[in-house]
Amino acid sequence: MKIIVPIKQVPETGNVKMDTETGTIIRDGSESIINPLDLYAIETAIELKEKHGGSVTAISMGPPAAEKALREAVAMGCDEAVLITDRKFAGSDTWATSYTLSAAIKKIGPFDFIVAGERATDGDTGQVGPNLAAALNLPMATFIRTIDVVKEASAIQVERLVEEGYEQLELPLPALVTVVKEIAYPRLPTLRGKQRAKKMELLRWGADDLDLDVTKIGLKGSPTRVVKIVSPRVTREGSRVEVKNEETLEKAVEELLTFLNERGFLAEHKRLTEGEKGA
Amino acid sequence: MTYQRVSAAILQELRKICGEENVFVDPEKMEAYSHDETPAQDYGHMPEVVTTPTTTSSVAEILKLANREMIPVTPRGAGSGLSGGAIPVYGGIVLSVEKMNRIIEVDYDNMMLVVEPGVVTNDINDLVGERGLFFAGYPMSLETCFVGGNIAENAGGGKAVKYGVTGQYITGMELVTPTGEVIELGGKIIKDVSGYDLKKLIIGSEGTLGIVTKSTIRLTPKPKEKTVLLVLFADIEGAISMVPKIMTGAGIIPTSIEFMDQLSVHTSCKYLNEQLPYQDAGSMLLIEVDGSTRERVDEDAEVIGEMCFDGGALEVYVADNYTTQERVWSVRRNIAEAFKVYSPEQSLEDIVVPVNAIVELMRRVNEISEKYKIQMPSYGHAGDGNLHTTLVKPPEWSHEEWRKIEEQILRELYREVRRLGGKLSGEHGIGSKRKTFFQDFINESELMLIKKIKSAFDPKGIMNPGKIVD
Repeated sequence: MKIIVPIKQVPETGNVKMDTETGTIIRDGSESIINPLDLYAIETAIELKEKHGGSVTAISMGPPAAEKALREAVAMGCDEAVLITDRKFAGSDTWATSYTLSAAIKKIGPFDFIVAGERATDGDTGQVGPNLAAALNLPMATFIRTIDVVKEASAIQVERLVEEGYEQLELPLPALVTVVKEIAYPRLPTLRGKQRAKKMELLRWGADDLDLDVTKIGLKGSPTRVVKIVSPRVTREGSRVEVKNEETLEKAVEELLTFLNERGFLAEHKRLTEGEKGA
Repeated sequence: MTYQRVSAAILQELRKICGEENVFVDPEKMEAYSHDETPAQDYGHMPEVVTTPTTTSSVAEILKLANREMIPVTPRGAGSGLSGGAIPVYGGIVLSVEKMNRIIEVDYDNMMLVVEPGVVTNDINDLVGERGLFFAGYPMSLETCFVGGNIAENAGGGKAVKYGVTGQYITGMELVTPTGEVIELGGKIIKDVSGYDLKKLIIGSEGTLGIVTKSTIRLTPKPKEKTVLLVLFADIEGAISMVPKIMTGAGIIPTSIEFMDQLSVHTSCKYLNEQLPYQDAGSMLLIEVDGSTRERVDEDAEVIGEMCFDGGALEVYVADNYTTQERVWSVRRNIAEAFKVYSPEQSLEDIVVPVNAIVELMRRVNEISEKYKIQMPSYGHAGDGNLHTTLVKPPEWSHEEWRKIEEQILRELYREVRRLGGKLSGEHGIGSKRKTFFQDFINESELMLIKKIKSAFDPKGIMNPGKIVD
């Protein structure tokens, strides 16, 4: 099977600092990594390849530095890597990104299916996967937690997480799925994989290499605009029950019980009498 | 030594010294100060009073009072110790430094920091990290432990192979002696042979020679890049025999070489709900290298990785970003905690041998484990010959049976360690837990010297009694 995994390079958020004024990430000195949720897509694709044979191609649209994420994907076990990079793509929204990616995937040639991550940890939209399926006119299922290849590799059966359980779906191939964390434990890259990834020639495609309608790419081709970024305000207000000494302890317990009782959080509450307390 | 009880009058005096809010006697609150990370049922002991002084002069006053009244004083940091060092085994006063937690001075011109003992070790790294610096001598528990405790135990940790232990980074201190005198030792200086190096004597003295109320810490440029290798081996011998080879043959000083046997990895992964997809390996090494450029670090990692393949490694995984590194390190860091959850009755050991004897040591550990039919998972800082072999109580044994056999096994283990030129504890300390063993395994003249030094500092024996020696 030929499997394609679209990935994104994002800032490492485990140890970055936020600018509390603007609500944006301070990118100085922060590392770039593969979008953590894309690792599950990569792992899924590699496991399917190991089981059914074939190859996995990782593809990413981004600045030249996104090469690092692609090489990491190769080190994990992807066979090929394609970097879509061009200044003309700068400022693409999810729609323009999906459109551009779809053109690149068409250029890669026939494939069996596309496995994408649930969403990227920076933009957090979860739109590029489904958009890409639409652009390529593929059947699509999101939030997938298991995949079985069936009917002599002409279809897949998947379990799709929904709020109150999961759905079982069957998709004819080629198709696109986005996967959730439950699906696999991503492997670490191996030393041999790293060595292979370092030497490997990446495919680098710009706007001119792809069959594209130039009015649909980059900032100009993007129908959405980020007008303003604001941090959500917490509207809930907490109330504080404080205990300073023995005397206020009793009162605080009483307050807390009243609070919980008023909201029906306690089944049946009976105040202990002095005699029962000792027991 | 006979000590006096803490009377109402003494409580009154303590309140006067430290303030009402810094003295408490409620058993519920004091319970937290009655144990450290050693099993409480075996080693715990309640204090009579807990004090949380906020100034050096209060600490000095408390010690003077204790001397006058013959009350034992047990200093305490964050209570994350593993040898019972902070447990008030004779009751008396627990002196917790938790409220002395200010960073007093940041001196970037000298790359030094002056801090109080209750500062959480990791807070230092958070503070100076922005300037590309770090405090290199920190232990594995850096997110909870205090600098004061690090100094008292001369804590080691995961980076000791390259950067050494806490003591190497402490250049000066303010010490309140057991008799209540305040003295300054060392300073913001790198070199100092003006008289005996008393500061070095205090470091690692487990709170038996005084209380450090301020310390000067030397900072180190933080390496910009690092790579962690997770190397899988079929068996224990394969991994452990690789350690001296890397240390002597790679031409590189790794930041860490950590060893984990299969049971340790399994237990930690279960605890973390993590699945390293290669848990079937017999043992693993976690090797970290650091440096100033990515290329250089990659190169060093490759040299060591290839050495491991030549030495029979099954697979070498590479983590060269924060996310993957955290994933690997958190398995290593959580082993002790995981064993505590799944096998609460255990003895976490801290044996240390010359690095070339570590292969032999692991063989002996296996023999002992088979002989007594108990699980003895091993993990630890193999790169500096320091292993946290753990004795796990079989569930079918009673507590009393266990305690008896535990002592037998420990004696046997320590005998082997000594035969190999090693010591009972590399970084956790003797404390109360290993005191008897320590006295049995040490040369008599050395023991006498230790006792004389102790009484020179603490003639009345009120300072953290019941630790290291009697």
